[in-house]
Amino acid sequence: MKRTCLLLSVLALASPAAAQDPPSLSIRPFVMGAEQNFTAADTFEAVFDTTRGPFFGGGVQVVVFDQFVVELGASRFKQTGERVFRTSTGSVFRLGIPLTATITPFEVTGGYRFPMWERVRPYVAAGVGSFAYQETSDFADPTTENIDTRKTGFVLNGGAEVRLHRWIGAAADVQYSRVRGILGSGGLSQQVGENDLGGVAVRFKLIVGR
Amino acid sequence: MRVFRARFPWIATFVAAGLVLTLRAQTLKQQRLEVVNIGLPAVDLGLRFDQMRGPDGDDSSRRQAILASLQPAAAAARPAATRVLVKFIEGLPAAARLSAVADVSRRAVMATAPEYADFDIVQVGANEDAEAVAQAFSERSDVEYAQVAHTFHKLLVPNDPLYLTSQWNLPMLNLERAWDIQPQAGSTITVAVLDSGMAYQNATFTPTLPPFRDENGRLYPGLGRVTIPYAAAPQLVGAAGAGRLVALHDFIWDDNEPFDFDGHGTHVSGTIGQLTNDSVGTAGVAFGVKLMPVKVIDSVWDFLFGAPNEGTDDTVARGIRYAADNNAKIINMSIGRTGPPAPAVESAIRYAVSRGVFITIAAGNEFEDGNPTEVLAEIASRVQGAVSVAAVDRARAHAFYSSTGSYVEISAPGGSGRGFGTAGGVFQQTFVPTFTDTFLLPPAQFRAPRFDILDYVPYQGTSMASPHVAGVAAMLMQQGITDPAAIEEALEKTAVDLGSPGRDDTFGFGLVDARAALRGLGLAK
Repeated sequence: MKRTCLLLSVLALASPAAAQDPPSLSIRPFVMGAEQNFTAADTFEAVFDTTRGPFFGGGVQVVVFDQFVVELGASRFKQTGERVFRTSTGSVFRLGIPLTATITPFEVTGGYRFPMWERVRPYVAAGVGSFAYQETSDFADPTTENIDTRKTGFVLNGGAEVRLHRWIGAAADVQYSRVRGILGSGGLSQQVGENDLGGVAVRFKLIVGR
Repeated sequence: MRVFRARFPWIATFVAAGLVLTLRAQTLKQQRLEVVNIGLPAVDLGLRFDQMRGPDGDDSSRRQAILASLQPAAAAARPAATRVLVKFIEGLPAAARLSAVADVSRRAVMATAPEYADFDIVQVGANEDAEAVAQAFSERSDVEYAQVAHTFHKLLVPNDPLYLTSQWNLPMLNLERAWDIQPQAGSTITVAVLDSGMAYQNATFTPTLPPFRDENGRLYPGLGRVTIPYAAAPQLVGAAGAGRLVALHDFIWDDNEPFDFDGHGTHVSGTIGQLTNDSVGTAGVAFGVKLMPVKVIDSVWDFLFGAPNEGTDDTVARGIRYAADNNAKIINMSIGRTGPPAPAVESAIRYAVSRGVFITIAAGNEFEDGNPTEVLAEIASRVQGAVSVAAVDRARAHAFYSSTGSYVEISAPGGSGRGFGTAGGVFQQTFVPTFTDTFLLPPAQFRAPRFDILDYVPYQGTSMASPHVAGVAAMLMQQGITDPAAIEEALEKTAVDLGSPGRDDTFGFGLVDARAALRGLGLAK
């Protein structure tokens, strides 16, 4: 995180690139990597031995007058852990039965870019997401014991975009997501009382376009 | 002829009979049991198919042993699906197939075409989503179908003939699907059976049988020095001989030869670990376990043979500590008593649990006899890591004899002849009672017993329910739940609720569900 801030600061202070006048409408594809800290910490810790996980994806941004932005993005988290038994005192026993969870969010956000500096645009955004969730495990009855569902959640994010080149930008932000209706009605998440599949993610984007 | 009986009442009767024997106990107990560890194998009156069972031979045993040894590692290392089966349209050239693979995934590779297949196999790249690759193939016009090569599990239905016809009790615990998860069935776990011993070895005994009087005062003649044949239960010990038995001990005779002169301990041991899927007889719950027979209760014959000790609190307490100190991970105690508290036994139970041992205890068979509190079962209810086990019949209803009370924690099949006849019993291989319980005959017909005739005998009692739970606990421990308290919690949380919603005094938390306990929980299901 410190390195990222340092990098952004250096880039912000660098000499301006040529032809900085932004277009009134810009369509910009991007790729993204994120590390999310899940709200359902006890659940993820038990199954995956960590409360965090990576998302990879991409999307497209539509920027109007260099200030207003609409972003459509998709990403995916996929991780394999083990089914577990957790005692009422919190001890976790892994049972050696592989379990794979896949989360695929499709998000639409709208936001505002603050024209504070020439090469750096802080921004905030909010939106909704459709979160697909699949959970499979060995020895499961595929029709009744695996999960393939989709629920809607909302997202909030804020960060800054830095121009690296006339056609290339980089952005880093922090996104909060909240997704109800997937966790909490069964399995370990129900046992520990966690019902939010969202979390707080640090995201990095590489953006192509002005 | 199979005789269906409740065992405990007879034992109780003859222990009581010991109190009124005309001949003093001291006289009897001066004898020592002479045993020659040579004897003929058992006469097995049960079903046998060995003449026509090729798979029952050494090769089959080796295959199963090797498979069992490989499966734990394979399960741990099992990768996500990495192969996609693709059926291209007929006549599509090889170059076109390769091109299609490249179109779908740059990391996927066409494997060598397999024999006996009308499809090609595409190996997907590392971390690539095989389902997505299969979907991409499916959407192509030059592909008839594409699917991920999913892993099959064998659905273990033991081929033991009596499993299919008589052992209603094991499917009731959802064991077939539990065995799919853990085909080794507890192979790294040692289960101590604190009971009347076990038919673990062929032998010949030459005791001197004194005269005695029964509970009605009838005099039974002394038979003098007799030769008594004894045989191991083949379906318990198996071809491996004593290999699956560890740290045997006899606290009734103070030696390491816990011969069962009753049949109860052998039957209980069979429910826990009877050899399974060998085309013979019955199946056991955790058929891979190592068994530790620890003899802590005596039978009529032990008494008549002159055993120096009885199955009292001190004997049982010592047996528990012995099992814990000799690396047993599960202890089954299908034994019990009513009356005053048993602090020595409770101390031993707490000691064993503190050493990582999970303990199952029969909840008692006296529901229709005043339903007194079973002392050991009541202790179990206060120790997290020990459970008291009530019995259900084959209709999942309360078995008529099964004691009830606040100390009942969980239920398992105990069998019941009431309303079901012999078909309602729990079957395992043990001695045929008509050859062993000759003291039940009139004095004129009294003869020396034979402990070499075995059959699959139906028993009923919470004694039969408890070893079911012990077997499932062994599998749980092998699966990774190593803490006794956690095993108890897992059994109780995953039990199928019976009777009143939630825990009740008849069924406790309900009927054990081996598969649910073994499978644990995922994130959302």
